[in-house]
Amino acid sequence: MRKLIVLVILFITSIQLAPGQGLYSPGSPQDDGRLAASTKQVNQFFRRFNGEESADGTRRYYDTDELYRNRELRGKFINILFDNETSSIQSALKNEFLNDVLSETLPKYINFHNGEWFAEVETTFIFKGKKEAATLFMKLQPEGLGYEWVVDKVSFKPFENIFRKPKGNEKPFLHPLSHEIGFMNLRKAFQENNKPESYTPKEYEPDYLTVFLYEMKNGNLKFDNISDVKFHFFQINNWYFELNQFNRPGFNTGWLISNLVKLGTGDKEVIQKYIYDQK
Amino acid sequence: MKKYIPLFLLVFLASATITLAQTDNISPARKQAIDSLALEKVKDLSKYISIIGSKETQFSEANRVMDRAEELFAPDAEMGVSSINRKEIAYYKVRRYFERLMALNYDRVNITWYDIHYISDLERQPDGRYVGVITVYQRFEGTSLESGLNYRDTTKKDITIYVEKKQTQIAGRTIEFWDVMLGDIRVTETSA
Repeated sequence: MRKLIVLVILFITSIQLAPGQGLYSPGSPQDDGRLAASTKQVNQFFRRFNGEESADGTRRYYDTDELYRNRELRGKFINILFDNETSSIQSALKNEFLNDVLSETLPKYINFHNGEWFAEVETTFIFKGKKEAATLFMKLQPEGLGYEWVVDKVSFKPFENIFRKPKGNEKPFLHPLSHEIGFMNLRKAFQENNKPESYTPKEYEPDYLTVFLYEMKNGNLKFDNISDVKFHFFQINNWYFELNQFNRPGFNTGWLISNLVKLGTGDKEVIQKYIYDQK
Repeated sequence: MKKYIPLFLLVFLASATITLAQTDNISPARKQAIDSLALEKVKDLSKYISIIGSKETQFSEANRVMDRAEELFAPDAEMGVSSINRKEIAYYKVRRYFERLMALNYDRVNITWYDIHYISDLERQPDGRYVGVITVYQRFEGTSLESGLNYRDTTKKDITIYVEKKQTQIAGRTIEFWDVMLGDIRVTETSA
């Protein structure tokens, strides 16, 4: 057995990469630091935000490493995780956020599996022969032995007007003694009126995702393409931030925080309602 | 396949220290070994792309290399390509992408790769396989002698990797090892 292990180790140590035109072959263009500085994946945003990678980005730190989640390292990283070129985040607000997440007594981290963050995907679909924009809100959920992204909500303009109820005198109704006539007036309500949603409760809210899937299954709605992806984070208590990808020259590129809001009571619901754009 | 055997063994050795109860978790040591194997496959892909794109490569040789390159991928893998001016994604099957690369209308093509990469954490998907993404950067230079035009771009390639535990028989013994396959690749033109 010992001989086998020695043989295997000798074999492994004898591996040499053949020089060629591939990755790291002689003549590879050298990065001047811009690509290294870029936050290349959302995964790297998580690592940098939490202080789980080395300053030069070549090593992933684990909880056994001395510098894992080091406060000073995190501070430097989070500073470069903001879009400093186009977003107008006030430096006082940014500092308040930094102080909060880097707190010596109760530092705050983000976690891939802990929910309270979701993706907004701008897509196009062909609906009734016309290209239409649709926004899909995706969330991560546990499934089987691991996790999966699922479509949680959809915002699709052509559906929004369909279910818009008329208001005031415009709104037809079923009078309060309809029950005495066995609801015979339903015929007029549904056959002579194209606003059947008028006869629904005040709290009625259409489930656009169900309608969207129904139209897709019936072949009326066909996926076309994707034009943009961004992420919304509510995971840090009392804070909301938006993550966007910046593809531009320079060092401040990749996945960066483009919007930061300190949340008061009820603000989270207001922002979520605004994001979902379903009202 | 043979060239990956030492790396498979490395992954096997790295996993040998893990107790049975933890066999489905990936320790940092094992992750590092899997990263090396995955990066080796990405290096091979980058080499194949450079050869397929080169105008000095014979047609028959390019086809042979395309076959080798295809073997790196899981079935149904696609390339999704977008540029700075066109955000929409153009989808290609891997083979089609290689064929288009080979047919590019330049007299001279030089494809090189930046000395930087990023390897994500591995996440488990519902079927138990692990998935990760490796990011690499490619520089493309194409020259048309007749027009004297020189085209250059830098593209970011986000390459999906699937990591799966497999079994093989060696001298009558069942050995478990972790294998890596490449999946969908998102190709984005960068402003770098």
